[in-house]
Amino acid sequence: MKQTTRLLDILDRAENGPIVEESQWDMFLVPDEIERVRSEFDIHLDDVGDSIVPQDDALADRLFDAGLALAERLGAYCVSTSRRMQFTRNEILNPINVAPLSISFGEDLDQHTEHKRAIEDPAHMTIKGGGVGTPVPEDLYLLVHQSYAQEPLIDAMINCTMERVYGREIRSRSPWEILTGWHEAELTKAACKRAGRPGLALGCVENAVSDVAELSASSYGGFSRRDWHHVAMISEFKTDYMLLNKLTHLVRTGSVIHSFYNTIYGGSVGGKDGMAIAIVCGCIMLQMIYMTNTHSVSPSHPFLDNDTCPEIMVAISVAQQALARNSRLLTDVVITPVGGPGTKILLYETAAMAILAAASGACGLIGPRSAAGTVPAHVSGLEARFMAEVAHAAAGMSRNDADSLVRRLVAKYKDQLDKKPIGKSFPEVYDLVTLKPLPHWQAIYEEVKQELKQMGLNLT
Amino acid sequence: MSISKDMKTEYQKQLHLAIQAGSADKGIELARNALDKGLVPVEFFEEIIQPVLEDLGDRFSRLEAFLPELMRGGMVVKAVQEKVLEPIIHEQSDEMASRGKIIIGTCQGDIHDIGKNMVALMLQVNGFSVVDLGTSVSSRDFIEAAKRENADIIAMSTLITPSMPFMKDVIARLDSLGLRDRFKIITGGAPVTREWANEIGADGFGEDAVEAVEACRQLMGV
Repeated sequence: MKQTTRLLDILDRAENGPIVEESQWDMFLVPDEIERVRSEFDIHLDDVGDSIVPQDDALADRLFDAGLALAERLGAYCVSTSRRMQFTRNEILNPINVAPLSISFGEDLDQHTEHKRAIEDPAHMTIKGGGVGTPVPEDLYLLVHQSYAQEPLIDAMINCTMERVYGREIRSRSPWEILTGWHEAELTKAACKRAGRPGLALGCVENAVSDVAELSASSYGGFSRRDWHHVAMISEFKTDYMLLNKLTHLVRTGSVIHSFYNTIYGGSVGGKDGMAIAIVCGCIMLQMIYMTNTHSVSPSHPFLDNDTCPEIMVAISVAQQALARNSRLLTDVVITPVGGPGTKILLYETAAMAILAAASGACGLIGPRSAAGTVPAHVSGLEARFMAEVAHAAAGMSRNDADSLVRRLVAKYKDQLDKKPIGKSFPEVYDLVTLKPLPHWQAIYEEVKQELKQMGLNLT
Repeated sequence: MSISKDMKTEYQKQLHLAIQAGSADKGIELARNALDKGLVPVEFFEEIIQPVLEDLGDRFSRLEAFLPELMRGGMVVKAVQEKVLEPIIHEQSDEMASRGKIIIGTCQGDIHDIGKNMVALMLQVNGFSVVDLGTSVSSRDFIEAAKRENADIIAMSTLITPSMPFMKDVIARLDSLGLRDRFKIITGGAPVTREWANEIGADGFGEDAVEAVEACRQLMGV
């Protein structure tokens, strides 16, 4: 693609930028610059009151300018070389202004195209269903993924990780990690075939913590160039050789790239104002450095690991609006609820985030990463179906209506978050032979859908 | 000497301002000024530094203060200790009030460090002496550092499942070296559970930064 021609220039910046100690970057450069742009561009999310999906276009535009200014002044940091990777405003704007407004992934009849969306856009978001890195035992791995792949509303699947491989412990940057990457490819592809969707795009290589598994499992016979390959940016705005190795491989093989940056509420970026600025800046830097096709920023709470707290949600909403109004970037929202399968709270959290994302102009939805993605096997395909149904029903909804609905949903679960209702594991909510939800989980799903209909959501 | 309540409040306020400004120099100047006026180092630590840092830790646990302030608190206090308090204490052969020395790092293969940084800083602001080995630390390096620093606790963190086995390696290696009883082990990180910590024979587990501090307090009996 035309934006990937700058690979050598990006790699050069990691070798030639000014040398800075990492502690200086974390302790002073990032927080000080965020505070400076926050003040300069007057970013105060408290001004929107209790609103979670604000309707303030001027605020969204100032937030975009603040994120762009931060990208220009701060750049990114390469941990391997201790160098700042800096860019001029024009160098940053050029790729943003030519970024494609759509990207296709998946193969043959299962190909899907993700499109740029606007705020309150009636077009459907792309649905990328899956457990997003949640660890799953090896014997359940195929079945869990088939439970997602069989859901027709899912446009792509985002894989879980494996607890063990061939019964052995998986160790980072070892042959076991390479074997796990391959096992992920074999089993998720088998799951898609069994579900009748052999060309479904797979979010991969989820088990590739390091570069070795990505490079190996995305070679001949493994994941294809038409799957969507993940490259992370380390918080805050950091990369290293391992990640740049992945990037270089993916660029030279012409693969679809999805990159993400997961900032932490209360971390170096501070509270919700800094987090909103960081989300915008993060997406800009992901485009700048990783030449990525789709972008996501999944902030998390430092004690709950979720993104469904109102203070995080409002930052996500305004940042998505800022990017929707001012850029061509294809941005996704990851849903990371505290609740797990078999609980109503998981569905309330998922619905709130899906409605927020739809009204705020996000292009795709990823997840849900149920039980915050930390409890083994606490994921199932049903919550992804629910996420898709709500997202599609919310397409075209005004921010005002979305805000009202989201606030009502948040009120239902907010006080339960710190109790961490992780719910039940996959075998406790699905029949492992028929791969259908068990009656109690199906009943909860039907009940919450009914509640949402009564709240005014146009669910079928 | 005992200091007046007003004086204590003023010094605490000045230290808080130095932390907010991220100015080690201001912190050092404040400590020197207080010692010139007759405070002894242990008094300055217990009456001024500890209450300010505990307040900072409490505010962070309620998310009223954020990581940068915590980092600056750790940086300013470390500078005050190293440049002002410890040299005098060493001269007087006295003991500085520390709750214990902790070696901390993210396990081999994992480059994530924000969670680990939060724990390190919360430990520091709660009176522990902390040596941060950074990210992707091998089991050998954890042990060598613990021996070198004469640490009390080895604290290991990871955000990713494939780095968890390296926690087990540290304990196995300590066993094989006959050093298991010399160091307490605490583990944490998103995929790490209390059950896993028990299974590998760790002495403590912290689900988050606040719990990690409490676990270390219990291990040290402070």
